[in-house]
Amino acid sequence: MYGYHVPPFSIEQEGISISMEKIGQQWIYRRTLGDDNVEKIILGDGKRLIINPVEPLNTPKEITPNLLIEFEKTLLLPGGARRKIFLTFPIEIGIFISDRGDKNLQLLDVLSLTRQKFTLYGEVSNGVLCKHWISEVYSTSPSLNPLKEGIMELTLRNTSSDWASISKAVFSAYGMKLYYDGDVFMRARMDILNKNAAETGFELQPLRGELKSIRLKDFKAWKEAFGVYNLQKLGFVPLKFYMGWGF
Amino acid sequence: MGLLIMDLNHLDISLPTSNGAVTLGSVLKFILILSFSTLLARVLKIYLRRYLKDKVSKDVGETILKILYYGTLTIVFIFNLPLIGIDPSALLVAGGVTGIILGFASQSIIGNLISGFFLMVERPIKIGDQVQISDVSGFVTDIRIISTIIRTYDGLLVRIPNQQVFTTNITNVVGHPVRRFEYTVRIRYSDDANAAIWIIKDLIDKEPFALLNPAPSVFVNDLGDSWVNISVRIWAPVSEWFGIKTRLLWNIKQALEENDIEIPLPQRIVRIQADARKVPIQSDAEKIPAEPIPEKEIESILNYEERVLA
Repeated sequence: MYGYHVPPFSIEQEGISISMEKIGQQWIYRRTLGDDNVEKIILGDGKRLIINPVEPLNTPKEITPNLLIEFEKTLLLPGGARRKIFLTFPIEIGIFISDRGDKNLQLLDVLSLTRQKFTLYGEVSNGVLCKHWISEVYSTSPSLNPLKEGIMELTLRNTSSDWASISKAVFSAYGMKLYYDGDVFMRARMDILNKNAAETGFELQPLRGELKSIRLKDFKAWKEAFGVYNLQKLGFVPLKFYMGWGF
Repeated sequence: MGLLIMDLNHLDISLPTSNGAVTLGSVLKFILILSFSTLLARVLKIYLRRYLKDKVSKDVGETILKILYYGTLTIVFIFNLPLIGIDPSALLVAGGVTGIILGFASQSIIGNLISGFFLMVERPIKIGDQVQISDVSGFVTDIRIISTIIRTYDGLLVRIPNQQVFTTNITNVVGHPVRRFEYTVRIRYSDDANAAIWIIKDLIDKEPFALLNPAPSVFVNDLGDSWVNISVRIWAPVSEWFGIKTRLLWNIKQALEENDIEIPLPQRIVRIQADARKVPIQSDAEKIPAEPIPEKEIESILNYEERVLA
């Protein structure tokens, strides 16, 4: 499903039906997922659709830019240690329309096949609203349904001298960078600062050969996904997330 | 503009002031400079508003704009005071006395002004917040220098003086990121309360905006006269709580009914005890000692409304 689509076209996969056809002088975009139907009229020719995974923070409604991933099992990391783990994260499918050459990209539709749930990270008075996701912790890259889940390579770094007990991580969508080619991939880091605080962020540099040890495909072929948050004009938005209420 | 100001200097009508004579030309120049500055400040305000729109939140942007706008006008005003024969440095000396006089003369205006300043600094409310101030509930649409503008939920515009806003209790509905709401669900005594709780919890779990943390709570809260009360407490994002509150209650009702758990009508158990039987009137000779009538207990459950109608 992911990739470029030149209209007219029609796709059906995992209960999702996406089509674009010309009726008279207009292009009609149709999408169906269960009882949810979307139909839009597109005025203009020479457009193409891009379907790719986007940050999982747009459905059912964009109310927070933060994703909280809760680990199924708590991790213990010794002081000064650095380890790499693999997590899963939910996928949302973004449908963009663009001119040739990916100019004037416009988000047309977003949908999700995963469970939607929100939670609060921190205190009621000043906490942060987050999209919630529970993930198993893997030592190697798991095999997942790319329309539902992506793989997150998370580098944990304990900068303190104490053991760190880690059961969750919060990420800001503003720094997310997704790659896809069969699987959906994201690379993040989490620095443990002290007993109660950590900082998370994303690696923005392109994927390199060092990941060849894991069971993933040729990274050179991976495409960088267009993000919904990348399209928004960012002001003074921090790309990292400071976890001040524990982890 | 410059030419016009030059020409105005030739107007020879002069007014005596403490700082020398003031010509009508200089007064007009003062008014023109002030008007031009106001116009310029307004144009700049429009451009800055557009520039800041995507950069900062609306309330912060509006505060920055107001400070810049009024700050610019104040500076221009002070620097041009010599044109009307007032030495700005003399303001420093006279400021204290003037302040006291002005304070007494326009106590409420100054009070509102100062309250407005503190409202902008302390920020108990922001533009766009849903608040309740002095029995007025609605959205804050603007915080001005003298007053705060509220759009009520039914679309009315209410202007509240800043002094009143500052000194009264303010309830900011969206002050925290999340808020809780509560239902009381009544079930019959014959229904399984554990099953009802499980059904309600399952519905909450399926609702995306019912938060996982703080966790929802569903429990038997009270054993009433005619029903069992189940309390349902759910936390939701402030932006979504009203939608989920209205949606979820009906879903709970439907889900319970689908599982034969019903919300009972008010019930009352009435016991009617017959202690005397009607016997025909007889003469004293014919009187037979009355046998004790066995107690007959009739128990019926009557609907309250039916009983009243009967």
